[in-house]
Amino acid sequence: MEEKKKTTVDIDEALYRPIYETGKGFYITVGVLLMIILFAAFMYIRQVYYGLGVTGMNQPVTWGFYIVNFVFFIGISHAGTLISAILRLSKAEWRRPITRMAEVITAIVLAIGGLHPIIDLGRPDRVLNIFTAGRLQSPLLWDVTSITAYFTASTVYLYLPMIPDIAKLRDRGGKLRWFYDFLSWGWQGTEHQKKVLNRAINILMVMVIPIAVSVHTVISYIFSMTLQPGWHSTIFGPYFVVGAIFSGIAALLIVMIAFRKFFHLENYLKLIHFRYLSTLLLIMSLLWFYFTFSEYLTGIFGAEPHEMDVILYKMTGPYAIFFWGMVICNFIIPVIVLSFKKFKTIKGILFASITVVIGMWLERLNIVIPSLANPRLELSTGMYFPSLTEWSLFIGALAVFVLGYVLFSKFFPIISIWEIEEGREESIKEVEERVKSYLPGPAGTTE
Amino acid sequence: MNGEEKKFHDKIIYMAQLASISFIWIFVAGIAVWILNLISISVDLNDAPGASIGISIIAIPVFFTLAGILTYVFVGFHKKNNNIKE
Amino acid sequence: MPKWAMVIDLDKCTGCGDCMAACKVENNVAIVSPEQAEENRVMFWMDMMTIYEGEYPNIKVTRIPKPCYHCDNPPCIKVCPVHATYINPEGLVGQIYHRCIGCRYCMAACPYTAKVFNWYEPEWADEFKTCMNPDVSLRMKGVVEKCSFCAHRLQHVKEDADAEDRPINDGEYMPACAESCPADAIFFGDLENKESKVYKLSRSPRAFKELEDLGTEPKVIYLSKRE
Ligand code: SF4
Ligand code: SF4
Repeated sequence: MEEKKKTTVDIDEALYRPIYETGKGFYITVGVLLMIILFAAFMYIRQVYYGLGVTGMNQPVTWGFYIVNFVFFIGISHAGTLISAILRLSKAEWRRPITRMAEVITAIVLAIGGLHPIIDLGRPDRVLNIFTAGRLQSPLLWDVTSITAYFTASTVYLYLPMIPDIAKLRDRGGKLRWFYDFLSWGWQGTEHQKKVLNRAINILMVMVIPIAVSVHTVISYIFSMTLQPGWHSTIFGPYFVVGAIFSGIAALLIVMIAFRKFFHLENYLKLIHFRYLSTLLLIMSLLWFYFTFSEYLTGIFGAEPHEMDVILYKMTGPYAIFFWGMVICNFIIPVIVLSFKKFKTIKGILFASITVVIGMWLERLNIVIPSLANPRLELSTGMYFPSLTEWSLFIGALAVFVLGYVLFSKFFPIISIWEIEEGREESIKEVEERVKSYLPGPAGTTE
Repeated sequence: MNGEEKKFHDKIIYMAQLASISFIWIFVAGIAVWILNLISISVDLNDAPGASIGISIIAIPVFFTLAGILTYVFVGFHKKNNNIKE
Repeated sequence: MPKWAMVIDLDKCTGCGDCMAACKVENNVAIVSPEQAEENRVMFWMDMMTIYEGEYPNIKVTRIPKPCYHCDNPPCIKVCPVHATYINPEGLVGQIYHRCIGCRYCMAACPYTAKVFNWYEPEWADEFKTCMNPDVSLRMKGVVEKCSFCAHRLQHVKEDADAEDRPINDGEYMPACAESCPADAIFFGDLENKESKVYKLSRSPRAFKELEDLGTEPKVIYLSKRE
């Protein structure tokens, strides 16, 4: 037994290595990212000092990049916890190397996305007013509540399955022992502990799915609860959720491919994992197109004048390039790349995922700006050009994401080691039994 | 690390863990208080109190369940440990 | 309880813009620099919509003064996260500047684009600083503001009426725009008072409201033969 344990540890040595070996690359990356973040922070302080005038927002386009990115980042965050919960729930065995990475995306991106409405405030110094004088009737507070719930749930959901791995790091000794000791919560790997942990994870994964769905639904409600043309639509809730999962999977694929390359995890993240996930991506792409089609067809067919103003602004007006770019990035490219086995290589999938992420960002842009730019009354059509401040905060947010991920992978294994081990030791037998139970029994037997 | 030191170390860690669990409960309770406060404001101002109550009915249990799960795991882990030692 | 409303007779309105100027002075509305104006950040509580019809040289220009419509069912107050915009029992929709967190959700939700935002710390030329209206509080950067139907004037009128122990007369409470209009195109009064001029005009066959189908029930009523 002792012997065997040692060898399994050795097998998964590749997963521990990034934690204990710090190369020059790490410091350079962190340094560069910190510089970008510092610059963004400086730009933000400048914005607080001078007022929101330093952005490109105006009347009537009163919301800009910040809200676009808010919706976008929260969308990306659906990758994680939701996908991992669905995969766990459906007992998909190929989930094992993926879940952890997905959950980390959620936790980090959610924190970034959740900060965006605060960045967007004209008076961030008064943000505490929502505690003393808040109105739960406002969709913005629905957001505050559901994002807090999702953040808490997904951090817990990230943390619990990590406990056995943290205990492994603790037992290895070495750096930061007290830290791992603290976080491992006295895990010894006893049967009882395993049972407790599994039960908790099972409850959580059932809980986390409705919370995740609620988050993006509520974000869509920010828009659809107003009376504005292009926003006031009943389809928005599911449309946003689909878009969120769509962009989330794409982001997850990008992260997986990046780590596979930098951490040499080819042995863990195999082509088959990418193929399965990219099939999901393809399905979401079709679903997304279906929703987009329904949304715009009803608008065009009804041809309500204000609605038409917005639609024409998107399709033939100043936003045509973004609108059609979105269709190409979200539908045409992924469908072409992902439907043919020939293109479904790692490179092909990476390409499709990147276009999807860009496309989904464009989608958020297309939803937020044109409706604001076309006031209902006979006022001039608005225009919006993001300023340097908005761009640097956008890039800063991306940098925070990468930095968060890099730091996480410095302290914790980004692939769940114990789940891989469990897969090796138990699930082959279990799956065999499960498949047998799906098959018809001997003739004449009924349950 | 000798026995004495280890015991001390374990104790400190255990205290810290207890503190983190209670922190979660404080957080959750804080959210509940906040939501209740908002409800009382909306009742005072007669500003669609139904909506706020509806939201709170969903939100508060969610947070308490989350804290409950964490506590369950923590307690569950430590209970068995003691049994082994006995 | 009175219900204050405004009637704007577009057939009388010459589009001179006097109401806009009167409003700016009355309410200490900041005057933005030309560059800012270029960026669509002008501050008007009373705005002017200009509609051009036809081709050069036969252009027909319509000018429509546009304050906040003080909707009876205002979409803007429903979305505010902090009670910084509210409707009072007399139907006036107000802003609480020192509570607003500047999320601009109410601006996005207003179907009439009636609100403006303080993108920078508001500024006034020195000449203006000597003649600020002491009754209207100054705004700070990062908050939303809009037409208040000159609610501060109502305060004075109420005090006078209380002192003399009589109801408020029709036409006693007048916002600055209505008072200044040289063509007498803007009327103001109490919709609940069946004797008031505003009530009678609102019953006129020429009366219409903007975007009535939205159910926001604006309390600014236009009169026009044209539409
Ligand atoms: S016109 Fe706009 S700002 Fe004024 S009350 Fe109506 S919705 Fe609110
Ligand atoms: S900008 Fe101010 S008044 Fe408008 S919704 Fe936000 S907090 Fe309320």
